[in-house]
Order: sequence, then structure tokens, then C-alpha cells
Amino acid sequence: MDIRLEQLDECRWRIPKSGPMRVDGLIFSSNELIKAVKTDESLNQVANVATLPGIVGHSLAMPDIHWGYGFPIGGVAAFDMEDGIVSPGGVGYDINCGCRLMTTLLHAAEIRPVMKDLISALFSSIPTGVGSTGPLHLSKKEETEVAVQGAAWAVNKGFGTPEDLERIEDTGTMEGADPSVLSERAIKRGRDQLGTLGSGNHFLEIQVVDKIYDMEKARAFGLSEGQVTILIHSGSRGFGHQICDDFLKEMASQMHKAPFDLPDRQLACAMLKSDQGRRYLAAMACAANYAWANRQILMHWTQETLNRALSIGPKELGMKLLYDVCHNIAKKERHRVEGNEVVVCVHRKGATRALPPGHPLLPEIYRQVGQPVLIPGDMGTYSYVLAGSEGSMEQSFGSTCHGAGRVLSRAKATKMAKGRSIHRELEDKGIFVQSRGKRTLKEEMPEAYKDVSQVVEVVHRANLACKVARLRPLGVIKG
Amino acid sequence: MNSHIPDFTLLDHTADLGILVRGSDLTNLFEAAAIALIRIMVGGEPSGNTESINISVEGQDLNDLMVRWLGEILYLFEGEERLITDVTIGFISASRLDALVATVPFDPARHEILCEIKAVTYHEIEVVKRGSRWEAKIIFDL
Repeated sequence: MDIRLEQLDECRWRIPKSGPMRVDGLIFSSNELIKAVKTDESLNQVANVATLPGIVGHSLAMPDIHWGYGFPIGGVAAFDMEDGIVSPGGVGYDINCGCRLMTTLLHAAEIRPVMKDLISALFSSIPTGVGSTGPLHLSKKEETEVAVQGAAWAVNKGFGTPEDLERIEDTGTMEGADPSVLSERAIKRGRDQLGTLGSGNHFLEIQVVDKIYDMEKARAFGLSEGQVTILIHSGSRGFGHQICDDFLKEMASQMHKAPFDLPDRQLACAMLKSDQGRRYLAAMACAANYAWANRQILMHWTQETLNRALSIGPKELGMKLLYDVCHNIAKKERHRVEGNEVVVCVHRKGATRALPPGHPLLPEIYRQVGQPVLIPGDMGTYSYVLAGSEGSMEQSFGSTCHGAGRVLSRAKATKMAKGRSIHRELEDKGIFVQSRGKRTLKEEMPEAYKDVSQVVEVVHRANLACKVARLRPLGVIKG
Repeated sequence: MNSHIPDFTLLDHTADLGILVRGSDLTNLFEAAAIALIRIMVGGEPSGNTESINISVEGQDLNDLMVRWLGEILYLFEGEERLITDVTIGFISASRLDALVATVPFDPARHEILCEIKAVTYHEIEVVKRGSRWEAKIIFDL
């Protein structure tokens, strides 16, 4: 497809509807960030998504957009429940990959001298790395309970407290999960991976609140300058990958019967109201719940480890869940489209929900200030806490960006890092890192990612989410 | 039989990883793709008790067949924790293949994980004949 790109203002670009596109494409970006976007295939992917049946509004891309497979990473698209589709590729392989931020009562100055020991302690107690398995081995019955109950299952087993649940998107349990639609393979892969971090860009990071942008919202989130926070980035592990793979193959094999052309087989999809579409959503909800239980357990072990390593009690540590958001998901949500309130299926692939103040789905504690949005940067720079803004409901189906977004392929990053010690470079900046995979640090080095500050600036200016606080890494464990 | 080094190159893709595999015929191409996938994921000399496994895969066309075939190899590793050491494709057509794969159990002490591949994608998948040789482009999700 020949892509025409029109700049609308300082942070919006439009791909006008042409050829098989059913709606316009709309990209949130900046004059600087859009340069890299133009060099890869991601704009074509925005246009491809715009051809899918039942798409409403625009085919959207957040400022961290980069080339994915099928849908771009950073893509958001909403589909009509009657004539629209659901696409496993529009959610991604790591279903409910997401972030969870915890606050503590610790001050950075207190832990800086023991930072290396803390990272070592976390690295020993949190299972990380490819195919990592943890101390939990689920029976089939337990696994189906996890798939239905999500974070609540973990809380019932003593991982965390019931108060945590309201601080999780959808309270950590997605409705409609039905384990009877899962393959034996999915069940098998999920059995030993609950309570594991994974590999690649997944991490656990100890941080310090480095800057506050909005005092009122920061206070509501329990954030103050100099305070220690912990950010976890993980997902549904092999369980979610298998579910995506199973349904993608099933749908791909039937696309030749579809009454529309598919520009890319990876966009394979099913009508939302079809049996296949419903089964996928029921399976996807199982993976979403698995991921929420996973992050709930990882949080609990983090707390135990810090208590032990610092020889302090839970009260002194004061670890509290701030929020948990997912960034790979498809959800039935209520939105206004062309003046009418409708229920649509919003796909977020590398994008975060960002509900504005007053939204009925927000818990009472955040109702006045908006939903916390967690945006991790690369391991050498900052992460951000934002709050959902009014503009998100008007422009992006209540969505915003999810992270920095890659600019270098893993191969290019490894080449650029040749002869360098990324570990030492980070340590010189006061960031202690331990990783399982030999290549991980090079592949995930800071230069491989867009500048997260620029990404966040765009969503702030576009009124999708506003800046609340900036977090600086002190120590990281990676897979 | 395909224990020799497969003919493949890595492709650059911002978010993920791709390979370009070449083979003298379809059998050779599909065997090489399977071995290439394992070599990208795991380093070290595969050793341990060998178990042979029969795999049959059906697909809509050669592209679909390649994605499903490599998906089976990936599942053997991810789901069954077995590494393939050798592949013999006994039958292949545009819509079906039958193979016998020799596998050893994955042993973290002996085998070094180089790269986690989450899935074999349909994105830009291409299995084509160029001149007298066959070539396949496959993108993996990492």
C-alpha cells in the first residue's frame, strides 16, 4: 500500500483512508520520533489494521510505535461487537504482558550502600530467564483456578492482601475466562511457569522517585521524591504464547473462507460474535488472569526478599501496590463513537489503558486523579508514572503509550555493544544489573530504545495522559 | 539426515528476529529451517539419551506448512523440554510433511540458552523457489 502521511499538529499525523482502508490511520508522535517511524514498515501496518472489518474510529498508533508482526507494536484499534473482528495478533503472543509498580517507605539513601546485595538477593529468589520454572508446580485443577480467578487466586493462597486487588486493572480478574477451550499444550506450558519473570525485555527494577511533576496526583498515588519504588514487567509466559499460537493457526487456516482480503496472514482474525471469536476471548481471558496472578506472586516474593535482605519487617518496608496495568490485551469497553455510546472490542498491542478522572471503572482511591499509567523506559534511563487524561477517551479509546519502543533490532544492538561492557557502563551510572542470558544486556542496552522522555512528552501534550512522576533505576534483574 | 550446519542467515527486524534459510530441495529446506531454529535458541553440544519422535504436519500451503512445522519444533523445546539433534523428512508436499526427529532432553547445565523464541509468526512468511534452489524467510517473535 502507498502510504500518504499528513501532519495535523505538533503531535498528530494522519494516514488518509485509501484503497481497502475502512478508516483513517492516526499516529501520535513528534517531529523527532516520526523520523524513525517513517523508516520501517509500521505505518503500513497501521494502514493494514484499518482494512479489518468493523473497525471504528481510527486505526491508532501511540508514539512508541514500532514494527511488529501484523499489528504494529503501539497499535490500538476498536471493533464493533456486531460486525467487527477479534485478532490474536492484535493482542500479541504475551497476552497481558504488563507492569506493576510498588511503593515503599524506604529512602534511596538508606539502600544505596547495599544495592548490590539487594539485587543479588532478588536475582536468587525470583526465577528469571528463558523457560524458567519456579517453586510453584500447579495441578491441572489449580491451573484452571488461576485461569479463572487471576490475582484473586494468588491472594487467596497468601500472596499479598485483598486490598491489592482494587489497585489492579479489572481488579486482576478478567471475566469470561473459560479453561475448557484451552489446548493440552497451553495447560502443560502453564503448569510450572507461574511466579517467573521470563526473559528478553522482562525485568524487575528497584528505583528512586527522581522528580514529581504533579504534586496532587503524586500524593494520591503515594509517591514522594527520594522514595524507593519497585517496578515489575512480566506477562503470561509460555501459557499465553501457546494460546495465541493455537488460535492464530486455527484462524489463519480458515481465512481463505473470509469475505474480505487479509493484507497479512499474521492479522488472521475471527468475527467477534462467531464461536471462534468467543472461544479466543475466553482463552485470552485465561492468559490475562494467569499474568495477573503471576505479577501478584512476583510482588509477594519481592517483599519477602527485601524483608530478609534488609532485616526489616513488612511494616518498616511498607511495600504497597500502586497499580498494575496490562499492555497486550483485547477488551470489551464502553466508548463514545460519533456521538453514540457503544460497546466495542479495544485491541491494545503495546499500549496502556489510561482512564481519566471520574471514570466509573476507577477505584475510589484514584477516582479524582485518574488511572495510574506505568511507562517503563530502558534499563539505563527513567521510567514514568502518568495519570489518564480526558483526551484519551475522546481520541484513543482510553489508551496511551506503553514504553520506549525499540529503535535498534537485537542484532544491531549486539553489534553496537561489541567490545563494550554494558554491565560496567550501567554500574558507572549507579545502576546495578544482573541478568541470566549472556546476550540480554547487549540486546536490551539503552541505545536500543527510543528516548522514553520524548514518548511520554507526546502523550502528555496530546492530552492522553499527564506526567506525574519520574523514576530513576538503581538496580535491575533481567532474564 | 541434517546434522550438518544449515544454510541460513539472520535478518534484521526491529522488534523480532528473522532468518533466511536455503535448501537444495524442499526436504532439505524444511530440515535446515528446523536445525537453524534450534541453533539460534540453544548453544553447546546437544547430548543425552536420544529419543526419536514422529511428527506429521498439515498446512494450507508451503508458507502455512513452514510456520506449523517450526511451531512443532519450538513446542518440543518449550513444552516437552526436548532439543532436536537430527531431522529426517520422509515425505513432503505443499500441504503435508512427515518427519522423524531425534531429540535429547534439554539440560540447563549442558545447553546454553542463546535466545528465547516465543513463536513462529506468519508475518512476511515466504517459501519460494529461486532458480534451482529453495528459500524461506521466517520471522520469529522474541
